[in-house]
Amino acid sequence: MGASWVTVTPPAPGPVGSGGAAVPRGLRHANRSLAVAGTFVIWVALLGPVIALVTHLSWGSITTSLSAPGAFEPLILSVESGAVTLGVLVLLGTPLAWALARGTLPFPRVWEAGVLATLLLPPLVIGLLLVFMVGPYTPIGHLLSGLHLSATDTFLALVIAQVYESAPYYILGAQAAFSGVDPRLEQQAALLGDTPLRLFRRITVPLAAPGLAMALAIAWARAMGAFGAVVIIAYHPTALPLEIWTSLQETGLPSALPFALVLLVVALPLPLAAYIWSARARSRRRG
Amino acid sequence: MLEVDAEVDRRDFTVRAALSVAPGERLALFGPSGAGKTTVLETIAGLVHPRRARIVLAERVLTSTDEPVTAVPPWQRRVGLLRQDPGLFPHLSVRANLLYGRQETDADAAAELEELSDVLGIEGLLRAMPAGLSGGQAHRVALGRLLLSHCDALLLDEPYTGLDASLRRTLTDLVVSLVGQREVPAILVAHELAEAQAFADRLVVLDRGEVLQQGRPDEVVLSPATRRVAELVGYTAFVPVRSAREDSREPTAAPGPADLVAAVHPDRVIGGRQPDRGLVLAGVVASCRPAGALWEIAVMAGEVGVTARLPEATPAGQEVQITVTDPPHFGPDGTAVPGTMRSSLTAAGSEAASGRWTGVRR
Repeated sequence: MGASWVTVTPPAPGPVGSGGAAVPRGLRHANRSLAVAGTFVIWVALLGPVIALVTHLSWGSITTSLSAPGAFEPLILSVESGAVTLGVLVLLGTPLAWALARGTLPFPRVWEAGVLATLLLPPLVIGLLLVFMVGPYTPIGHLLSGLHLSATDTFLALVIAQVYESAPYYILGAQAAFSGVDPRLEQQAALLGDTPLRLFRRITVPLAAPGLAMALAIAWARAMGAFGAVVIIAYHPTALPLEIWTSLQETGLPSALPFALVLLVVALPLPLAAYIWSARARSRRRG
Repeated sequence: MLEVDAEVDRRDFTVRAALSVAPGERLALFGPSGAGKTTVLETIAGLVHPRRARIVLAERVLTSTDEPVTAVPPWQRRVGLLRQDPGLFPHLSVRANLLYGRQETDADAAAELEELSDVLGIEGLLRAMPAGLSGGQAHRVALGRLLLSHCDALLLDEPYTGLDASLRRTLTDLVVSLVGQREVPAILVAHELAEAQAFADRLVVLDRGEVLQQGRPDEVVLSPATRRVAELVGYTAFVPVRSAREDSREPTAAPGPADLVAAVHPDRVIGGRQPDRGLVLAGVVASCRPAGALWEIAVMAGEVGVTARLPEATPAGQEVQITVTDPPHFGPDGTAVPGTMRSSLTAAGSEAASGRWTGVRR
């Protein structure tokens, strides 16, 4: 086919890499402003409850609530039980997350579905089911009473409730973190002489660490704020979320708000630190 | 000495490899993508479980499926594997990467590191993180890491794919000299013939899991054992030819079907009619385009398209004569014509000027 009808027009001079039709600068500026404004609205809406908390608190109400005798006991209890919960999650959740990530288990989707099921159960339902599982009239309850322990209304019960509420968040987060580690790097370490345990310590964990830290931070936040299961099996001793609930019930909203602020102040630093550390570790590796 | 005799089942075929690589010898496993080359390396490294295998390295049995069954785990094999992705540990500095395979208490490691980083030209990078390295630097570091780990065999799985040609040449020369110094057996997997030739003392052609031929690189390229090997090493056309009947006094007039094909490699074609050097073909130039410092010319010789890389451009439509120098010949079953017959053909070929035997489509 002849091509005499084809007219080749040299491209008009323009900015390098401008691609298609140029967008007027004013329009680009307006687009950007609109995008920032829209994002800001969403961000503020998301932070609405925090803003409401801060704006509705007076210094007087904070000092009154927190200077009462035993006011800090729920806080200390929450921190202690939260720390134990994290320990349990790291010990038991990490190997499971690793196995899920590596697909070494038979029928891996079944295992994953099991973890997801605990995530989908409402915390209140988890609490009710825990009564059937570890309550005083169950085999586990009998076993615990033989050891002079109880899984209802004790520190142990609080930890159990927190573990069940936060475990799926940690396991799924840790699974994603381990999945992000290139198995070829692990193979390389093995070929350089590392045993599986040694390469897990030297390669897998350090490379998954940013994701693991985030998973742990989220689990911590969930454990600190655990309420649904806690209210069923660990009403006593009173942890911080339950203290907020009882204060609200007994003396009204103003006396509950200072404890909510304390919960926020105590629970937030770990996730925040984990987030900053993860971001820095990732950017360092990207160069 | 690295001795490999393995059968590994893959989804679509079984990889069968029987290789033996002496200390300091460099062997290239060459074949198309998906031929099973990487599987062979991974089997040697202990990353793939073979159906049947016996792998011996420096008199240590690494794998044996016969009694006593042996499967040395990868971390005890002392086999170094370098892939296309250098696989540097991103959370460790270059120095820590280099020393990864050494014991922390090893006093000699630091001195050796200094010496090797000089040789590799990475002495100024020891404190850098892998993310800040260029592709070539990362490969040098990865190579240094393998050498510092004192592996007993070096396995290179297309390590330079994606790097520019001059860097590939430099790194290949470096590996060749280091393999010689260290006297370790080395296997390179390559799907580019030039890369395999630049590296290897010996070339093994692998296709769909089967070793088709092994020998010196020039030997394999000039005398492919089968038509398939010829295709893999770059022969692009197969011209039907008739062999001369011994009792015939007028061979060119002898009718009958072509019983052989002569393989044409674009780099082994010269312009003009030179019957004393090989098979002369006549045809019309279909296209001509630059190829490196040469011109790639497609010639239609009858119904067969032949590609030649020649120093002079020839316009399309022009009638030309070209000579395929010493082409290998293959019988109807695809195997090379045996040496004796081949020599008789070559002798006959020398009479091509008088038409003793010639291309059918001429």
